[in-house]
Amino acid sequence: MARVTFENVVKKYGDSTVVKGLDLELPDGAFTVLVGPSGCGKTTTLRMIAGLDDATSGTIRIGDKDVTRLEPKERDIAMVFQNYALYPHLTVRENLAFPLRAIRMNRTEALAKADAVAETMGLTALLDRKPKDLSGGQQQRVAIGRAIIREPAVFLFDEPLSNLDAKLRVEMRTELLQMQRRLGITSLFVTHDQEEAMTLSDFIVVMRDGEIAQQGKPKDVYDKPNSTFVAAFVGSPKMNLLDGAVASGVFSTKSGLSLPLKGVAAGAVTLGVRPDDLILDPKSTKGTNGRVGVIELLGPRAIVQVNGSGQSLTAVVEASRMTGIVEGAEVGIGIRDGSHHLFDTTTGLRI
Amino acid sequence: MRRFTAFDASRMVLLLLAVVAVALPLLWVVLASFKTPADLNQPGLIWFTPTMANWTEVLGSDLFAAVGRSVLVATITVAIAVVVGSMGAYSIARFQTGGSLSRFGILASQVLPPAVLVFPFLSVAYMLRLNGTLVPVIFSHLSFVVPVVTWFLIGFFAAVPKEIEEQARVDGFNRFDTFRLVVLPQVLPGIGAAAIFGFTLSWNDMFYGLILSPANSTILPVAIAGFNTFRGVELGPMSAAIVIAIVPVVIASFFVQKRLVQGISGGAVKG
Repeated sequence: MARVTFENVVKKYGDSTVVKGLDLELPDGAFTVLVGPSGCGKTTTLRMIAGLDDATSGTIRIGDKDVTRLEPKERDIAMVFQNYALYPHLTVRENLAFPLRAIRMNRTEALAKADAVAETMGLTALLDRKPKDLSGGQQQRVAIGRAIIREPAVFLFDEPLSNLDAKLRVEMRTELLQMQRRLGITSLFVTHDQEEAMTLSDFIVVMRDGEIAQQGKPKDVYDKPNSTFVAAFVGSPKMNLLDGAVASGVFSTKSGLSLPLKGVAAGAVTLGVRPDDLILDPKSTKGTNGRVGVIELLGPRAIVQVNGSGQSLTAVVEASRMTGIVEGAEVGIGIRDGSHHLFDTTTGLRI
Repeated sequence: MRRFTAFDASRMVLLLLAVVAVALPLLWVVLASFKTPADLNQPGLIWFTPTMANWTEVLGSDLFAAVGRSVLVATITVAIAVVVGSMGAYSIARFQTGGSLSRFGILASQVLPPAVLVFPFLSVAYMLRLNGTLVPVIFSHLSFVVPVVTWFLIGFFAAVPKEIEEQARVDGFNRFDTFRLVVLPQVLPGIGAAAIFGFTLSWNDMFYGLILSPANSTILPVAIAGFNTFRGVELGPMSAAIVIAIVPVVIASFFVQKRLVQGISGGAVKG
């Protein structure tokens, strides 16, 4: 167990800088998720911890040890790749035991330990199979089992769930979290899926263009996104972001949508409202109105598109409050008190 | 059931022509090995009384010493070529060593006529006092077997997913162990095919052997050529000897045929 620290780490490929002076600390024993759109440098960051990519400059520490220039084998890490990277010529048992070969554990002991790990991962029946005879989910389990067998200082996960079907992905997510809690090993998980990031993480790091856009507890990042980028990236469906101006307690957009917004200084501003903080009321159409567009029913909730004065908004409505909200209906639009987010229109930063 | 079309018929005819072109000389040689000198004067003769005289003569001669030397030369050549070639092919496939130049260079070495190299080999062997041994023959064979084996293996190494190597490095292995324990097992079928192919090339070479091997202890193809004596060509025993030389090659080709296309295309065909 160890914390991982980045000090001013830069990674360049030729002329392009992929990671721009990263300062980051992964808390000891915590599950940290690195999330961002593709090409933001998150996988490169992970690979630099693994030692598969060299940092161009800066220092990476695992615990107190400077590992910046060390080979992967000297870093005491384990990694799960997106495509699982099982050794095709070895059986499940041999795949699990393979990392123990590197530390020269004797064969019987190593295979016994592989059997024990297989037991906890529910792989006992598959021990003598080759990877090609396993389903995607089973391969995934083997890859995770192989990662935990040596009980490394740090776990690294490079989008390990993205090749699984939706149902299995949710199951594996829970399982992964339970396993990490049980072992208490510092983990870094890279994904482009913000939902995965929110549900898995103790600590979330949102990256953009090789820099950290925001980091913190998932709830804090969700409740107080520090920029329009984070606001739009974290949370599903996406936060409504409206450019406009505030004058005497009313926010209005250029297209003519106006919403009451008390206690906010006058001036140009970007208003952010989470879909679940938008209140649609079919009965009170006296204030701001909108016409209901597409409705996506999710079961307990529905995602409702509303068009208010040429401005398209997304709202999440509880199933119990759906009476009167049908396609084409006129509804009143309001914001839950105190739930709004304000951003500077030019810089995109939170005010 | 599909109907037998004119297209199918013409395909069969073409195939038949190809088989005849390849198999007829072989068949003729096999028949000739059982013919008496008198029968051999009638090349078209198919019905004749077979004689074992040619075979007894060949089996009683020192031809088998030449077979042994050919096996020795081919085995050592292939052993070296596989070790060097697999490392070279891995390096070219994984790290693009030498860029496009290395692939071109390998092909270029195959374009070079052997006559260009044989005299340098001869004079170096002479200076090192290795003439009169099979060492210069082995080295001359390496000059064409190593490039072929390397070329052959590039495609096999390129098909190994990079992630399993990275996984092995993260799992605690250094680069060489990663190559040995993870990469090599994936390309073993390719290496087997390359070894058999390389063996055949060395086995069939006569030109280098003729000039570089010791006059009294030569390799098989040269020994076969030795039936062309000052008294004329001893066609009967020569045919028997040729059959002995061909059989291992035919058997070997049978085993590598599946991987041959994949190997020769050198990475153009993946799979």
